[in-house]
Amino acid sequence: MIRVFFTAVMMLLLAVGAARADLFKELDKLTNPDSKERKILSGATQVISSSKEMDYATERTIGESLSLESLQRFGKPVNKEALQRYLNLVGDAVAANSKRPTIPYRFAVLDSPVQNAFAAPGGIIFISKALLGVIENESELAAVLAHEIGHVAGKHAIKSIRRAQFLQGVGTITAATMKGDKGKQFESMIGDLQTTLFDKGLDKGMEYEADSAAMETAYRTGYDPRGLINVLKKLQKIEGSSIKKGSWYSTHPPLDERIARLEEQLKNYPDAASLATVKSRFARQVKK
Amino acid sequence: MRKKVVTALALLLALASTVAMAEEKRWVSSDGTTLKTEASISSADVASLPVGTELSVIEAGGRWIKVRTAKGKEGWVYAGRVADTAPSAEVTKEGGLFGGTVQGSQIETAKADSARSIRGLSPETSQYAKRRGTPESFKKELDKILARKVSAKELKAFLREGKIGEYAQ
Repeated sequence: MIRVFFTAVMMLLLAVGAARADLFKELDKLTNPDSKERKILSGATQVISSSKEMDYATERTIGESLSLESLQRFGKPVNKEALQRYLNLVGDAVAANSKRPTIPYRFAVLDSPVQNAFAAPGGIIFISKALLGVIENESELAAVLAHEIGHVAGKHAIKSIRRAQFLQGVGTITAATMKGDKGKQFESMIGDLQTTLFDKGLDKGMEYEADSAAMETAYRTGYDPRGLINVLKKLQKIEGSSIKKGSWYSTHPPLDERIARLEEQLKNYPDAASLATVKSRFARQVKK
Repeated sequence: MRKKVVTALALLLALASTVAMAEEKRWVSSDGTTLKTEASISSADVASLPVGTELSVIEAGGRWIKVRTAKGKEGWVYAGRVADTAPSAEVTKEGGLFGGTVQGSQIETAKADSARSIRGLSPETSQYAKRRGTPESFKKELDKILARKVSAKELKAFLREGKIGEYAQ
């Protein structure tokens, strides 16, 4: 009898031990810089530290100010209400499944001959008429917009200006912080943001992160995740005859490398081909 | 007696294994997520699930997952709308097109006009435009962009028409 009890206790200890071993294994993963767990943890701490620095209203004001400059630089929105609404529907569809689904996004097609798309902080996203011209179905459009949403969700533009003088000691923009010297510093910060987004480009790592997020977001929404690869391959074909300055060619990492990384990620989605591409509605809304 | 001990042993073991293998969890990661009675969008709604809601997995594998909420509601949710990690605290504090997160919105009424509902440029952006001497026509164009709001209902109809995600057949 005692033997049976002894066995029971031993087995219990063994089971608890196994659970503990699992715990140690999990903790161990956190010390590996390449592990998924470590990336999640570092992502979480980044979000915490950046949200401490800036509230959403401030981020949005920076985004709106940058948007005013973008319209002057690249051109006004294309004057087709149905097209602009369609773009917002596709954009909101993917935004709802992004890593930052709960802020208000806005999307606009700009009348520009440069193949470009970019995101202003806070969720105002632009795509040029030229880049839209390269796209052939809704899953491809969704992917490009999801790439830009990835930048907003990762707060990439904001991170690129975190050392700006204006932001030192400022967590919230108010009417008072827009006056005098602070106002000048704000203008200079918007200028720096333009240089980063339209001339130098964001950090390469941020672009790869936005690509990866775009594929995942498109897939989660139910769009064929191959959309972004298709667009990049099309851009590759017409690279020779395209305007480079201020385009996806000059401000983003080489297309070859982006495609290769996405092809690798695509292996995670074996059912890719069964998902929506929505060619006919796209043609009806965009190509008319 | 021996039988009793064996039963006790089995019970103890079952208990231990439950502790060892904690219930599998998912978190609602998409705005506008609905718990359905069956694994189909055309089935009845059980509840709206705000971003950040914790779910226990009952059955997984396909594009729909059977789950239970903390309040004990059971149903099916589309797999693309949940994640195996909780969204960041910041995300669950923000509003959303469908107007619901677990913690509610941090964007107060005063900011609502410039953020969630957006009726034009924020006063601070207007001040920036004034300093820069931005032509009025560009301000108006940006106002139009910000005012172009898609409703939750429109978005659902759009997904249904395109047979996208949970609307795919």
